[in-house]
Amino acid sequence: MHINAKKKMLRDPWLLTGGILFFFFATASIFGSAICPHDPSAMEFTPLSSPCAVHPLGVNDCGQDIFAGLICAVRNTVLFGLTCAAVSLCIGVLIGLTAGWFGGIIDMLFMRLADVLLAVPAIMVLILISALFQPPPLTLAVILALLIWPTISKAIRAQTLIVRESPHVRAAVQMGAGNSYIIFRHLLPELFPLYLIGFSGKCRMAMFMEASLAFMGLIDPGRKSLGMMIHYALKYYYLDIWWNWLLPPVLCLSLLIMTVTFIVISLEKMLDPRLRENFGESSA
Amino acid sequence: MMLSSRRFTKKRISLLLAYSLSALLMIWLSYLLPSLLPGDFVTAMYSTSEDVTLTAAQESELRAYYSQDTGFSEYLLKLIRLDWGNSYAFLTPVSELFFEALPWTLLLLVSANILAALTGFIAGVEAAFRRNSRFERSLVSCGTVLEGLPEICTGVILLAVFSLYLGWFPAAGAETAYAELSFQAWLLDVGHHLTLPLASLVIAYFPGNFLLTRTSMIMVISQPYIKTAQAKGLSGLRIRYAHAARNALLPLVTRFGLRLAFTVTGAFVVERIHAYPGLGTLLFNAIRLRDLPVIQAIVLISSIMVLAMIMVLELVYAYLDPRVQDAYQR
Amino acid sequence: MAKKFALTVHQNTQEDGDSLMALIQRCTLSLIFILFFGIICFAGNSEIRIADPSGDWGFPTPYRHYPRGPGYIRMSMVFDTLIWKDTTGVIPALAESWSYEPETLSYLFTLRQGVKWHDGRPLTPADVIFTFQYLKEHPYNFVRLDSVSGCEIAGEHQVRVKLHEPYAPFLAYMATMPILPEHVWNKVKDPKKYVQPDSFIGTGPYTFVDFNKVKGTYLFEAFADYYQGRPKIDRLIYIKADDPLLALLTGKADLAEIEPNMVKILEKKGMTILRNQRGWNKKLMINHTKEPFSNKEFRHALAYAINRQEIIDKAHQGHGTVASDGLLSPDHEFYNPKTPSYEYNPAKARKILTSLGYIQGKDGFFAKDGKPLHVRLLASTVTTTDRDGEIIRHQLEQVGIAVDLQMQEKTAADTQIKAWDFDLAVSGHGGLLGDTVMLNRMISPKSGSVNSARYGGSKKLLGLLKEQLRTMDKEKRRRILAEIQKIYAEELPSLSLYYPESTAAYNPKKGISWYFTPGGIGTGIPLCQNKAALLR
Repeated sequence: MHINAKKKMLRDPWLLTGGILFFFFATASIFGSAICPHDPSAMEFTPLSSPCAVHPLGVNDCGQDIFAGLICAVRNTVLFGLTCAAVSLCIGVLIGLTAGWFGGIIDMLFMRLADVLLAVPAIMVLILISALFQPPPLTLAVILALLIWPTISKAIRAQTLIVRESPHVRAAVQMGAGNSYIIFRHLLPELFPLYLIGFSGKCRMAMFMEASLAFMGLIDPGRKSLGMMIHYALKYYYLDIWWNWLLPPVLCLSLLIMTVTFIVISLEKMLDPRLRENFGESSA
Repeated sequence: MMLSSRRFTKKRISLLLAYSLSALLMIWLSYLLPSLLPGDFVTAMYSTSEDVTLTAAQESELRAYYSQDTGFSEYLLKLIRLDWGNSYAFLTPVSELFFEALPWTLLLLVSANILAALTGFIAGVEAAFRRNSRFERSLVSCGTVLEGLPEICTGVILLAVFSLYLGWFPAAGAETAYAELSFQAWLLDVGHHLTLPLASLVIAYFPGNFLLTRTSMIMVISQPYIKTAQAKGLSGLRIRYAHAARNALLPLVTRFGLRLAFTVTGAFVVERIHAYPGLGTLLFNAIRLRDLPVIQAIVLISSIMVLAMIMVLELVYAYLDPRVQDAYQR
Repeated sequence: MAKKFALTVHQNTQEDGDSLMALIQRCTLSLIFILFFGIICFAGNSEIRIADPSGDWGFPTPYRHYPRGPGYIRMSMVFDTLIWKDTTGVIPALAESWSYEPETLSYLFTLRQGVKWHDGRPLTPADVIFTFQYLKEHPYNFVRLDSVSGCEIAGEHQVRVKLHEPYAPFLAYMATMPILPEHVWNKVKDPKKYVQPDSFIGTGPYTFVDFNKVKGTYLFEAFADYYQGRPKIDRLIYIKADDPLLALLTGKADLAEIEPNMVKILEKKGMTILRNQRGWNKKLMINHTKEPFSNKEFRHALAYAINRQEIIDKAHQGHGTVASDGLLSPDHEFYNPKTPSYEYNPAKARKILTSLGYIQGKDGFFAKDGKPLHVRLLASTVTTTDRDGEIIRHQLEQVGIAVDLQMQEKTAADTQIKAWDFDLAVSGHGGLLGDTVMLNRMISPKSGSVNSARYGGSKKLLGLLKEQLRTMDKEKRRRILAEIQKIYAEELPSLSLYYPESTAAYNPKKGISWYFTPGGIGTGIPLCQNKAALLR
């Protein structure tokens, strides 16, 4: 029965699609520069030329090969999104668990801090930071993570409050388990499905934020990213660039986010008991 | 019984106190952060003009003229008197500007949120009850694809297709400026202008609402009481909306509330693309011009709104789910 | 399919045999037209709508409009000046004639008769005198009256303005200075704060009706008693529209500044395209107050290292021309064609660097005394993000100068430039076609503008700049200006990169032929919204 379910899970179309997409993007990011014949930052071709054999996606407004740029952009955007999501997840989980488990004044402090961070308009802060410190992109990802962890930690905290009261945790407390033991051995693994949702949400948010920051001119314009490509392509929306310049980065962004979502959906099914039950039922 | 209610009140008071403290912190931040922006109004306004160049003396005179900064305590006192100061750029009260922009933002954001929440909710419920049907699969894939589309793209694609190529909708503004219309015609005109920005926002918000409702519905459906209801032979609609959906509503309400709280900054990008007037545009211009009193007011209002919404949600949660209450008793 | 969304092929739909689509489109279009535009009641008023990307330029009164060209233009619709400019040069406005009397150092203006303020009162010479006095007391930033020593009523309709010393830009300022009604402003102590219905009373062709601060829209109505006759268009409306192409094609606007790339599409749709002379330059600011940029030779090396034609070709698809190194535009009457120039020559740039003691390392980058040559290039979102900074970085690194490109929000960047906290900065300014008093503003070390070179390194240059203002004889002034351009190019305190193509488009069916005013409106505003085009 158990093995059977596992097999079925592997045949799950969501996981399959997500896995294939993931594999595709991973290959493109790692081996991309090997496949691609041009330097993405070299501005040596005729600007705005249409796709041809040498330039599969044509050339952009300043004479750079779009295909090379796209591969580079996918890698940068993935890195940006993953960094931001990972950092915000770590902070969010740690604070959420601590607040939920200890409660009292610690909870109050952390949660009010989270509220204030939620309430400050992120755009203000980002303009401020980028103007004052000119952080490199990955630092910016970390700074963004410092701003967006509250939603994760709120969800984690709420769930911690529920799990805290469950019999096995109570039993562990009565058996004299220490705080850190309970947090890391019981709470941390138990809330796993929530991390996935949080991670995919933040990943998406970070990738979008990068696009919005590019749109407002707050990121180094020389750095290739999907957001920056979309931003530049949109400037020429009235020319015949829709299919070779604007669509590819939009499609890649959509596919990237779909990859994350698909994998999360299928992992969620595996891990969340309520969904699992349903899952077994539906694929039977 | 008495004890618990007193405890409850005490808990509420401490919660309120905590929130007032964070509100105070927020007021301080809204006062402080804008003034940390590099550059000031005089630099933004005068230093890049090719037609006007000021001497150092003129510049410092202007700086003195425009400076309203009298310290945080004074700022706080003024706030209590509901005085938000004057905009540097127009020298008119900030409140006047704010309330001129607010209706447009509310119109756009509130209607977008309601539309997206309603459609997302209904689609989510229907999809959950039709699990693994073609309908559900296509909706889910649709939602996931839309979820991966940034607002910037939807905005511009809608503009290019419906405004540029088809010419159905206007490209900018909230109404035809100075058109001298009758009331009905004016309403139509406003609706006509609202369509594209509204559509961009609904497309941006719908997938999240839909996927969220669907997931929480799936969890609810497997509960025994739904099976009981089904066994009792209750009609499908009634089970869906009166029994199941009511219990799946909470996460959606949270999301809706937070989205509403982010009214001011939520439509920033869409307002920019569609040149739609509103608080986002006002904030953008104020930051560009370093119009500190306007930035302070908008940052303050938007952050207080978020704080208030979070507090309301927390109280609602504590009321609905007794387990959450315990958090402050330890 | 690929071309479906591209405008260029819009008309080809029928050819493609895609007639159903075309039919649906036409039906829906007409339906929409009936629904929305049909309802808009045409009261028989003619109107012109002008699109502007940022919308808000302040109240259109002299003391409340923003200190930029568009703000001035809106104000100029309401307030007339003594003289004005059109395609033929300086033309009479409130003054029907004027003359310079060198022996008394004064100008004599003969005012037109029968001119009325918007409130119906007549314009008197006393109003003109009052304006001079009021503007001396409360400076209006667009006009400098330092040279004026006094003014008096010289006859029934004549005003004499006396100067301390000869002042060549005086007439340019007179073509800029709005005349204020004494009966409104004589009681106003702080004109910056004064925004009342009567602060919009002028003698201009349009009366001010409304300004919406949040929407960035303006409404002006024709002034029936205008002394040159009621203007052709009844209602003049400014709207905010981020995208000029959409605004023009959807009929939302009848006039807009456009990107050069949009020209073809708009021409096909029957719009008239206007091209301005070269009056705006993109500039590379050099921090000449610090090592090694304080060295003239080093600045020359930078100029040789930058391929300006490539910037135009790569970042602007060829829409632009390489700038003169003497700051003044080649389209200016005082342009010196013999100004030294620095053609792209990377070998020469390297040679100069080597002669300055820099040694090119194995990695290709220069270093001196073991310290690598590393410059910080500041770029900001001037109008929109462009690629100039990127290309300059690329070019400098090709020569062997390591560049750290920093992209910043505009005012943040300007604040740093102002405080000399930069090495190189991409910036830009206009006014290159107007009166050459602009050179003083853009070179003088006392200038408060961040676009100014603020260079005091050449006493001779500063002396000549002062002298050109005092020189009333045109040919003499031309010679001085030729010398100024030569010295500026040799000193090279900042490097003019290129003149981007400046284009506008308008709908000719509205019956107005707009034009770019040679030399710019007023002291050199490079916009085509000249109110003279609206007059009969």
